[in-house]
Amino acid sequence: MTNGEHDHKHCLAMFGRLSEYLDNELDEITCKELEHHIKKCVPCFVCLQTLKRTVDLCKKTEDKPVPREFSQKLKEIIQKIPKTTSP
Amino acid sequence: MTTVKNLNQKKIKDKDSVLIQAINSGRVEKFQDLVKRYEQKLYNFSLRMCRDPGDAEDMVQDTFLNVFRYLKDFRYETKFKNWLYKVAASTCIKQRRKSKFAPDKELSLDEFRANDEAEPPAQVPNWASMPLDQLLNEELSEMISSAILSLPKKYRLVIVLRDVEGFSTDETAQILNLSPSNVKVRLHRARLYLRDKLKGYFNNDEW
Repeated sequence: MTNGEHDHKHCLAMFGRLSEYLDNELDEITCKELEHHIKKCVPCFVCLQTLKRTVDLCKKTEDKPVPREFSQKLKEIIQKIPKTTSP
Repeated sequence: MTTVKNLNQKKIKDKDSVLIQAINSGRVEKFQDLVKRYEQKLYNFSLRMCRDPGDAEDMVQDTFLNVFRYLKDFRYETKFKNWLYKVAASTCIKQRRKSKFAPDKELSLDEFRANDEAEPPAQVPNWASMPLDQLLNEELSEMISSAILSLPKKYRLVIVLRDVEGFSTDETAQILNLSPSNVKVRLHRARLYLRDKLKGYFNNDEW
């Protein structure tokens, strides 16, 4: 696709839907429209791939253990709650 | 109409239901089991939401106290875990209001696009195509945590719930009292923000 053929408005609209595409949340027509667009638009294609990697990395974020001191403190606080208030 | 809807609302039974019923019927000591079950999840959610670990601990503590206070009002209309995160998110938002931080900055889609157009990529960079386990290391994990913390809170809440905690769009919308389309808009901008941070990180090396 040459610059002259590149419709910036349409491109921005597709750019705005890339996350929904990754999450399989697009309707069939928009999904096909987006797939057609990324075949011809390198920046949108690259954005899709880098966005996908960003999501993959977020999903791999590991949990840290709860500090023992804080866990103990929490236990003591819960034990001290007046049992008449709730539940 | 609302009454009819509420009457028809399906009750959700999950692994927590029996425990909650026991607590609500007077076995209050069982609340410790509920805390034990969720303290690590909640602690990590709070760490991702608060810059200061002390604030994160306060958030966990306040959340559990609020859960204890309102548990009798839990109607089994959603999974307990989702209700817990709703209480946690609300606690987190209230914490922010108490502080004197500036209002959340808006992230603009046009700006992200302009960044791409300023330096049009010729191909997919290595960091986006190489196997994930070869890419991940402690330094990168720290960088991602720090980038998430640098997001304005309203975007941070959405990306943490969706991409880290694994809630669906609809669940996230319920937890945050937002429309699903609002969740989608915020999520996309948050992801683009993080992607730009990752691009910056990898541009310093030959990736």
